[in-house]
Amino acid sequence: MSEGSTQDQPINSLGVLLAHALAMETDAADRYGELADQMEMHRKADVANIFRRLAKAEQKHLDELEEMCAEMDLPHIAPWDFKWGGESPEAIAVDRVSYQMSVKGAVLLALHHEKLAYGFYSRVAAQTGDGEVRRLARQFADEELQHVAWLEEWRDKCGPDDEKPLDDPDPPLSQE
Amino acid sequence: MESCAQKKKFLAKDYKSELKPIWCPGCGDYTVLNAITRALAEMALAPEDVAVVSGIGCSSRIPAYTSVYGFHGVHGRALPVATGLKLARPDLTVLVTGGDGDGFSIGGNHFLHACRRNVDLTYIVMDNQVYGMTKGQASPTTAPDWEGSKLTPEGTGINPFQPLVVGLASGANFIARVSASDPVNMAQIIVEAVRHPGFSLVQVLSPCVTFRPEQQEWRDIVRTAVVDYTDDAARAARRLMTDDGFNVGKVLYKGSRPPYRPEFENTDGSIAELEARFAL
Repeated sequence: MSEGSTQDQPINSLGVLLAHALAMETDAADRYGELADQMEMHRKADVANIFRRLAKAEQKHLDELEEMCAEMDLPHIAPWDFKWGGESPEAIAVDRVSYQMSVKGAVLLALHHEKLAYGFYSRVAAQTGDGEVRRLARQFADEELQHVAWLEEWRDKCGPDDEKPLDDPDPPLSQE
Repeated sequence: MESCAQKKKFLAKDYKSELKPIWCPGCGDYTVLNAITRALAEMALAPEDVAVVSGIGCSSRIPAYTSVYGFHGVHGRALPVATGLKLARPDLTVLVTGGDGDGFSIGGNHFLHACRRNVDLTYIVMDNQVYGMTKGQASPTTAPDWEGSKLTPEGTGINPFQPLVVGLASGANFIARVSASDPVNMAQIIVEAVRHPGFSLVQVLSPCVTFRPEQQEWRDIVRTAVVDYTDDAARAARRLMTDDGFNVGKVLYKGSRPPYRPEFENTDGSIAELEARFAL
């Protein structure tokens, strides 16, 4: 996010907040779903399961949000004009995953992004001058915090096997 | 600010097919697919008004993963196919996708002449400096000292191909380099490339996590270019001569050459008429 850009300015409109929330939840549901597909494609069922469950949780958020916005005409914001700059906070960067990533690695990566999402909504709530935006941003932050708590619980349950990179009995070799 | 109802007719996922990509997790090509679909959604182009043409290679699988018209062509021949398509159907937005091997080695000659012809195409090259689909051989853009392949155990010792320099010298009308680690910026540049008339070349630094795992460090090496684009080809060339290949995120050059758009006679498009034209 460049200093001094409009991206640094607080969100003071309900429509702008909801446009951001819709984009973030859409990106999160899509991305977790894509990562689950990738891991299933490579027969990594345990890691795929984590991403699939998160995709479902995000889709539930998204469905609720879309219902809330159904009668509203929200502003259109281009992907590069969102306040967060770059990819939305809840979307795991595609190049951060690997087919050998451990179960715990996947949980920690998701946890990091759920915390970023919580941080985004918390900042919006702290910076806005609009009472309704503050109330809703706090509500969204609390919802993200539920995912954080869920993932922290999952992280704490991980055993030693969950920390090991997944085995590849037939690793890629250059010109085998 | 426009409202969603005024602007947003399509979502990015509307441009994705039901087919699930089989790229390696972590591959930069996922990001390119996402950037392309985001860019198309932002331009609100109807899927039936867009075509994606490719050659052969991992990245050339993109047409199968989109819901727009697609043509997965012959190795190195994406640009001739796309040229023919655009000339026959100028109403279509035609994107060409592929890798560095497909584009600069097998299709190298077509690349030169596509730049020279300046047909209104957007060529997105996913450059990972390796032939990934055939298990990791040196490609035209591989550094001369890369020793990761059994075919070139001491490196190729050959000067790497410089796509942007060659593209500029050959007449490409729009030149940019982006990183797969920033898909939102990539989407923005693709929108600019599509909207700029003529042949647009977008080089994507797209890591091959399997055969060039060290390329995962590109995310931390790339930097946003500090200067904005120029319309002066000589100035763009001088910038490229001092460039280390990791300045990304901005358009380097926008030319003003008119695109190649030959006039065609009106026909009824029938086979009989076509046969009559070729009759001796």
